[in-house]
Amino acid sequence: MKRGWFFLLLPAILGLLLKIAFERGWLTNSVAYLRADLGTLALLLGFILTVLLFIIWGIFLWQDRQFIQEFIDYQNTVAEERRQFLRRLDHELKNPLTAIQAGLVNLDSERNEAALQSIRTQTNRLSRLVADLRKLADLETRPIDRAEVDLALVLEEAVAIVQEEPDSADRSINLSLPQAPWPLPKVQGDEDLLLLAQANLLNNAVKFSGPGDRVEVRAFEDSEMVIVEVADTGPGIPEAEVPFVWQELYRGHGARGVPGSGLGLALVRAITERHGGQVTIRSRVNQGTVVTMKLPTGEVTKS
Amino acid sequence: MEKKPHILLVDDEQDITSNLSAYLNRSGFETSTAGNGEEALQRVAEHAPDLIVLDVLMPIMDGREMLRQLRQSDDWTPVILLTQVGEASERAMALEEGADDYLNKPFDPHELVARMRAVLRRARPGRPPLSAAWVLTSGELRFDRQARRAYLEGQELTLTPKALLLLEYLMTHPDELLSRERLLDVVWGWEYPVGSRAVDTRIAELRRVLSDDAADPIYIETVPSLGYRFISPVETTR
Repeated sequence: MKRGWFFLLLPAILGLLLKIAFERGWLTNSVAYLRADLGTLALLLGFILTVLLFIIWGIFLWQDRQFIQEFIDYQNTVAEERRQFLRRLDHELKNPLTAIQAGLVNLDSERNEAALQSIRTQTNRLSRLVADLRKLADLETRPIDRAEVDLALVLEEAVAIVQEEPDSADRSINLSLPQAPWPLPKVQGDEDLLLLAQANLLNNAVKFSGPGDRVEVRAFEDSEMVIVEVADTGPGIPEAEVPFVWQELYRGHGARGVPGSGLGLALVRAITERHGGQVTIRSRVNQGTVVTMKLPTGEVTKS
Repeated sequence: MEKKPHILLVDDEQDITSNLSAYLNRSGFETSTAGNGEEALQRVAEHAPDLIVLDVLMPIMDGREMLRQLRQSDDWTPVILLTQVGEASERAMALEEGADDYLNKPFDPHELVARMRAVLRRARPGRPPLSAAWVLTSGELRFDRQARRAYLEGQELTLTPKALLLLEYLMTHPDELLSRERLLDVVWGWEYPVGSRAVDTRIAELRRVLSDDAADPIYIETVPSLGYRFISPVETTR
């Protein structure tokens, strides 16, 4: 920004220097008369003003770009710090957990079997959580496959997986895929990860709805994007909670008592972003929830 | 009575080594422990162990350095390294450093014993393990790990990256029952309900490309409800 001010003041400084030079007699200070008709003067003035405005506009643009760059840098720093935190957390938790697991197998008191069993279960739960957090951090950095993926097949498979779950029996799960005028275009990416994301979304829809509720999966194409919607007629998410559902370990009010690690949606978001896409959620209490995932077709931007 | 295998446990966390020792002793192993790589090298010199369970991050000398020095002195004692081999860079390093197997912390001690038994069974005294070999051959199948290419009867196979990784792991663990969870953990780095299908899909791909009949397999055998096993013997060229 300092350079910007210098350029703005440059004409004035030059003028001042010339003035001093003329006064001191270093240059012959002859008198010059300027005469012009009003029309020419107006044209000249207009021209000068335009040039001035262009300069001002340029400065604004430049500042804007600077600001955006700073914002991106800031975001990257935050993301990097978060990853580092997750790595440290992982490292600091895994040694104690290893020691606890090793200690547990050495205890075989028949009198305290129930207590031991619950400690074992909880230790396993903690271990899984640590592993999941690490995988999430991993997912954000490790290179992912860039193969052609038929999302229609992925969605069919995700529906099949979720339908195997006992809760799915009394929900009606519907998948609608376009056939005309042409089927869903292919996307590029990692088929397994995309399946994981879709199955997670569907699993949520089933988990957070009740018997008789409807779950709909729709996919369609819109200007170079494949859009997948997973909708349910479940209890919905209160408006105040919606912005937080993508955060790691966030568990909404309605999610208490429902099994899960609080990492499912964070995982979905990480997978979508690694594929150059976006994922959003809309929800109304007592009406339901729809998650929309947009993935670019064809070439995927390097991320 | 058969001699009990001697295991050297190396970790700077004493609560881990002492608890694991107690459990391993009950499971029919003799154990000794070391708190860092330098100490571990001394133990190896004093009393050649049958297997080393080695942590990575330790003071004075870390696990990777210890393993490097061990292999440089042409000592091929089997080593299970306690780290994650998920990322490609680590995988390449793992190949260079020549550990026999990997296990990520925290782990279930039963899983450690299962892996120890598998590694001990696979170990070929005084020779590099399959996991440290650059080229693996099994019948008509050849896997070049440096170039990351697989050939059947001299013809290069077209495989997805995941299938290639899976084949590599299967070939470095022949004749070992590998559960879907284990394969997921090693090849994909996660275990979720959807995961076991991902394994089945890749196994199906491998079988198709290798023209391996699932009902009468030459290479990959399905162990019903348990997992898979690579049944063809594997040879190495380093």
